[in-house]
This record gives sequence, structure tokens and C-alpha cells, in this order.
Amino acid sequence: MPLINNKPVDIVDVGTGNIANICSAFKKVNISYNLCSKVSDFKGGKIILPGVGAFADFMDKLKKRNIDNYIIDKSKDNISILGICLGFQVLFSCSTEHKFTKGLNLLKGDFDLIQSNLLIPHVGWNDCEIKKKNDLFKGINNNSDFYFTHSYILKKYEVKDIIAFTKYGTKFPSAVKKNNIYGVQFHPEKSQDKGLLILKNFYEIC
Amino acid sequence: MLKKRLILVLTFNDGVLFRTKKFIADYRYTKNFIDLWSADEIILLDISKKNRLSKKFLEIVRFFSLNCFLPISVGGGIRSFKDAVNLFQQGADKIVLNYSTYRNPDLIRKISEVFGSQSIIHSIDCRKIKKNKYEVIINNKLKTNLDPIQWAKIAIQNGCGELLINSIDNDGSLLGYDLELNNLIVKNVNIPCLALGGAGNWNHILQLFKNTNISAACTQNIYHFTNESLKSAKEYLKKNKVLVRE
Repeated sequence: MPLINNKPVDIVDVGTGNIANICSAFKKVNISYNLCSKVSDFKGGKIILPGVGAFADFMDKLKKRNIDNYIIDKSKDNISILGICLGFQVLFSCSTEHKFTKGLNLLKGDFDLIQSNLLIPHVGWNDCEIKKKNDLFKGINNNSDFYFTHSYILKKYEVKDIIAFTKYGTKFPSAVKKNNIYGVQFHPEKSQDKGLLILKNFYEIC
Repeated sequence: MLKKRLILVLTFNDGVLFRTKKFIADYRYTKNFIDLWSADEIILLDISKKNRLSKKFLEIVRFFSLNCFLPISVGGGIRSFKDAVNLFQQGADKIVLNYSTYRNPDLIRKISEVFGSQSIIHSIDCRKIKKNKYEVIINNKLKTNLDPIQWAKIAIQNGCGELLINSIDNDGSLLGYDLELNNLIVKNVNIPCLALGGAGNWNHILQLFKNTNISAACTQNIYHFTNESLKSAKEYLKKNKVLVRE
């Protein structure tokens, strides 16, 4: 394995949910990681922003620790960032979950509830239609399945930032890339070999 | 398009995978599950008579978290918010709630407010009374006089994200899922439902998906617990036009 970046990935850990599984996945692909629950924990590597729970509560937790500003600063320093699930959602402008809440605003877009005639949350394995050749999905076939679990989807967005779409009722963006900012609505750490490959690609080539 | 899911339900007694009497319980057997690439999800349930969620069981949750990169749900004996936090920290993606919320539905709300509703599966054990009439049973004995739909709606209002519909009558029968029960509940709720109890062959799973809007078929049947049998189940479903993950 070529050593591209000898710094461990900085994983944002604000105490909500599945950090243990993100760590297990990085262990599996032999990538060292560093858990960051405050700004001084960061070592300057690529940033993983995983999240489960509610948008407003999660943004609150990032702000209280000033991690929101750290991420915004690093995004300008060309450090690659990968948002996962709720971590993907907060990369954008805002969400209407519970109440209108502003996100990190690194990408333009609004999140809104999945259309109401469908079962909510959208849970299970669904395919990603890859729209643009990109490093994150390198070695992954078009229409591969990934594991999703979420109730809100990106409704307004800049088409040029979207690298994959998924269909649940309507087509919604399931992966984005804008310069050094990456995000996936699904859970790569829960999507077996293809998910692990996404994490490996992010570390090695994104 | 969203795929129909096949979920393995593994039950543990004092930290040992619990199987029928013909098989010798063996922890090494558990480790074979790391090759289960065809499973869509795994549910681990602690069914120990006493001392549930023991250190031994938590080690098993940890083992799966470290080795299986697919969604892991964990339940059996979750009584408090603290129990739930502990399981999430060991690597549970979702927790399975059941009896404890009967007297304390607020527990669902507490957990969903922090971890999100997608992290909670609520299990409902149902027994048939007469045609189209079922009752929720607590701890395999306590009759509640509660209609499963009524109870499902309380659980949903409090913030659960999925329902696990368990048919006590069909459990272990290998005679097929109770389609009437599953239809009754799934038609009255707007969250994904998972069916458990009765799967004896691939056709039972096919009938479940053909005749109900159930999102996932769960099996506890030991003969379904190999990667080869999961593959053949999926091939059978695919051949019969059910959308499953390859």
C-alpha cells in the first residue's frame, strides 16, 4: 500500500452513536485513526465527520466544541473532508429537521423530509448511480448497493457537486464532491467490501 | 431501488450462541459469521435467563462490530438509557427494545432524542386470538389486552424507526410467516417492518415479500446460517422477481 499521507485520519467524535464501527472499519483496512472530541485533539490529517441522530443537536455539539470552525478552516487549507450520513448532511447549508437549522455551509443545499407516501426512515441497501468519474468510487461498479438509514434527503443542490444519485421515490443525491469536500448519505462502514473501499479510497487518493 | 432485506437473528444464552438441542453450543461457531457477506443485517439477542447484557454478551457485540461490516442490531434485556448507550459504545448500530417499554414508553423517546429514531427497532410479540385479531404478549406470558397496531402506534409516536413483528404462534414452526399478522400491522404504520417467526424454506420468504409490504425477512432457522444458503435464498428470490442485494 503506498503511503500517501502518514498522518492518521482525524475522526470527529462528539459522543453520538456509531463511532465504534467507524473505528472498526478503519482498523480493517489498516488505516490509523485519531478520535477528536475537541479542537486540540486534531492532528491535521484528513477529516472524517460521521454522525447519527438529529441535525440541530449534532450542529450544537460541533459548535460547543468549536469543531465547526476547525472544519471550515481546514476545508480552506485543502484538507480533505468526508462527511458520512448526518455528517454528510451538515456539510450543506441547512435542514428542516425538527426546526430550521444552519449547517457548516461548505456546500450549497437544503435537507427536507422524504416524501410522505414512502416508509420513513429509508432503511436498507440501495444502489448508487455514479454520475461522474471520481476517486471516492474508484474500483466500485456503477449501481453498487450501500446501506442507508435516514429520513431527510437533499432537495435543493448544485448538480455539478453531485457524484451519485439513489432512488427512493424520487432520485436524491447520495454522494457529493466539491474540490476537497466529500460526502456520502450512506454508511460505508456498514456496507461491507465496497464501503471499506470507499474509506480506503478517501484516505489514499482523495 | 431499495432492496428487500434478509436478516439473521442470532440468540445468545450466557454469551453462547443458542441453537436447537441437536447441536452443541459452540462459541467458535459464532466466529464463522464473519464470512457472511450475503447477509444484509444481523440481529443479536441476549436470551439468558438471568444476568442479561453480561460482559460475555458485550464481548460478542464487540466481536461482530470488529469483524462484520454490516448493520448490527442488539437487544434482549435493555431496561434503561444507560443499557442502550453501553450497547452503542460496543458497536450496536441499532438496539431492539421490547418488554421494558411496555410500562415505560418514554424510554423510546429518550433514546431516539439522542441517537435518532433510525437507531431503534421495536419488537412486538404477537399471539393470535381469532381471525384478524391479535394480542401483544409481554415476556412470553403476560397478556396485555393491547392490540399490536395500537402498541405499534405508541412505539412510533415515541420515536422508534422500525418494527420487528414477531409471531409467537409461528415461532419455530417452520410453517411460514404469519401473513395475516404482518399485513395487519404493515398496512397501518408508515415505518419499515421486519417479520420474524416461521421461516422454514425460501418459498416462505418469497410469500412474505409477495403478499405483504414487509421490508425485511428475519430468520432464526439454523439451516439458513451459512453464506451458501443465504446466497441460494437470494438467487431464489431474484428468480422470482424480488429485488435483493447481490
